[in-house]
Amino acid sequence: MPGGEVRLVVRHVTRKATGWLLMIVVATNVTYLLASFFLDPRSNFKDLRPVRSEAQIDRALAPYNLDPRVPLVDRWWDWLTSVVLHFDWGRSPTGVSVNGEIGYRSLVSAELVVLSLVFSVLAGVALGVYTASRQYGWSDRVSQAVSVVVFNVPTSVAALAVVFVAIWLNQHAGLHFLYVAGENAPGVQGLLPTVGDRLLHLILPTLTLTLMGYVGYHLTQRSLLLDTINADFVRTAQATGLTRSQAIRRHALRTALIPTATSVAFSVPAVFTGAIVTETIFGWSGMGSYFIQTISKNDVHGTVATAAFAAALTAIGAILADVATVFLDPRVRVS
Amino acid sequence: MTADMTADASYGAASDRTPQPSRSVRTAGRQHDVARFYVRRFVRNRLAVAGAVIFLLLVVFSATGDAFTSYAYSDTDFAALTQPPSAVHWFGTNQGGNDIYASAVHGLRRSLTIAVSVSVLTLAVAAVVGSSAAYFGGRAEKATLAVIHFLLVVPSFLILALVSNRLAGDWRVLIVVLTVFGWMSTARIIWSVSTSLRERDFVAAAEFMGVSPLRIVVRHIIPNLGSLLIVNLTLGVVTTVLSETALSFIGFGVQTPDVSLGTMLADGASTITSAPWLFAFPAGLVVLLTVSMALIGDGLRDALDPLSSTGAGGRR
Repeated sequence: MPGGEVRLVVRHVTRKATGWLLMIVVATNVTYLLASFFLDPRSNFKDLRPVRSEAQIDRALAPYNLDPRVPLVDRWWDWLTSVVLHFDWGRSPTGVSVNGEIGYRSLVSAELVVLSLVFSVLAGVALGVYTASRQYGWSDRVSQAVSVVVFNVPTSVAALAVVFVAIWLNQHAGLHFLYVAGENAPGVQGLLPTVGDRLLHLILPTLTLTLMGYVGYHLTQRSLLLDTINADFVRTAQATGLTRSQAIRRHALRTALIPTATSVAFSVPAVFTGAIVTETIFGWSGMGSYFIQTISKNDVHGTVATAAFAAALTAIGAILADVATVFLDPRVRVS
Repeated sequence: MTADMTADASYGAASDRTPQPSRSVRTAGRQHDVARFYVRRFVRNRLAVAGAVIFLLLVVFSATGDAFTSYAYSDTDFAALTQPPSAVHWFGTNQGGNDIYASAVHGLRRSLTIAVSVSVLTLAVAAVVGSSAAYFGGRAEKATLAVIHFLLVVPSFLILALVSNRLAGDWRVLIVVLTVFGWMSTARIIWSVSTSLRERDFVAAAEFMGVSPLRIVVRHIIPNLGSLLIVNLTLGVVTTVLSETALSFIGFGVQTPDVSLGTMLADGASTITSAPWLFAFPAGLVVLLTVSMALIGDGLRDALDPLSSTGAGGRR
């Protein structure tokens, strides 16, 4: 790209990124207000013995900025300033720092979500291209039937089916590297063993989320490519001496990829939702299981941090999608 | 103009004139023909018919299944804890001694009720919001789209869990909450189709006749979205079942003592190797329900879409 174009691209991406940043800020603040309204940290103290009085409970919550007697606006302002100035996301009703929890967990979850998103897109688009160029062939029909079934299975059922098959494989085929619980094994030392161990633990959850995610890309990419595969410009490209598959890859696919690239952003929330269930089933301590834990323990600050994390993931996905669109779509570069 | 209006009426009874007797008879006859035509196209698709049969069987099962067992889903049989399927307990029992057959009937009914109601409600909201945004255009359209896009990218499942955990346990509240956070993607599709409808002659004709904008949306634009709405109704059932099972699975949807397919999946998840029947029966029912609905949706899309080749060409 020439220099002028680069500047245009940078401006385009910056403008989009600003919009997403705004989205994160609004989403996080809305979640704070909703969480403060719907979660009641005081109810955590109701079952404690000896029975605490209302005033005692409120006093216990006060140091963590959860005192219900303080007006919501003041609590919100305190929370907002500490997040903006010190990146301190607050404390749970029992005084555990949210930052300490999310530091490790967000890495674990990001790993899972990003990997399965990448695999979903790659597998889905590849299958879409393969089946679209063989429309109504047996591979097209079979893969479509499989996709329709997989697409409509709840994540919990798919994950447990994966667990079931893995346990069976471990017992009958003598494999012992398919881990169905946890994100790492305790007591593994050294850099290389640690990385290897983590990768092995990643296999099954990533496989589950990829299964849940690839179908959307397969089906849409197939129909998008079918729309362009017989277009005049593809025939022209073939007339210049390209083979059919070259013409499809370089000309038809390039056009058909643009809507797919934009749809990646909208699929991140669904992947994260899948990660909540998947992490529960595979016993991962990531953001998904943290989210369940915080809501059931009335942890306002923890819930908000999870929402911010999910919004940030969405924004990252969207910005990457924007960058991809810039490279694929010349109309964005000139306008 | 008259031709346009008649064509309009024959698709979705979208006429707001007082019907003259002769014409209404003719329209009714034609509607009957059109319906038969669509049914013929639908029946040609064997998978869709299989889906419809499975779905009907599930509905019948959920409605009449209790008649075949003496247990209620809340009954506990302490003489039979975690028993595999037998003549007494057809689907076995769980750790608390609940009969899985009775629970499955009740859970299926609960999940079906939630799914169908939410699907109908979200579709109504999406149709009104999406087509109004397209018809009124301008600032209203921009604002609506901004809200839709915001809600689409916000992790709405988190907010859903947050709100329903506090209010739920009660399935009626769950219906409301799922509707509030579930209408956006359908509204966006309806909006994009309606933008072409608003330019059509029959809308202009209605405008010239002084029909009020709201009436144009309700009587002229929405009926012309007919096939899209019907297809989205079936897909909405699938989406809702998936959200409901996910929410109930992590404990924020339907809550004990009530039972849905999602709570049964959650109960069976931890004993998948030692007591697989706890998981297998609800999982089988969920998959039958969603896949049959998806097949019906596919079949309806092919049958109702005038450009689709699968229905007319008789390929299958």
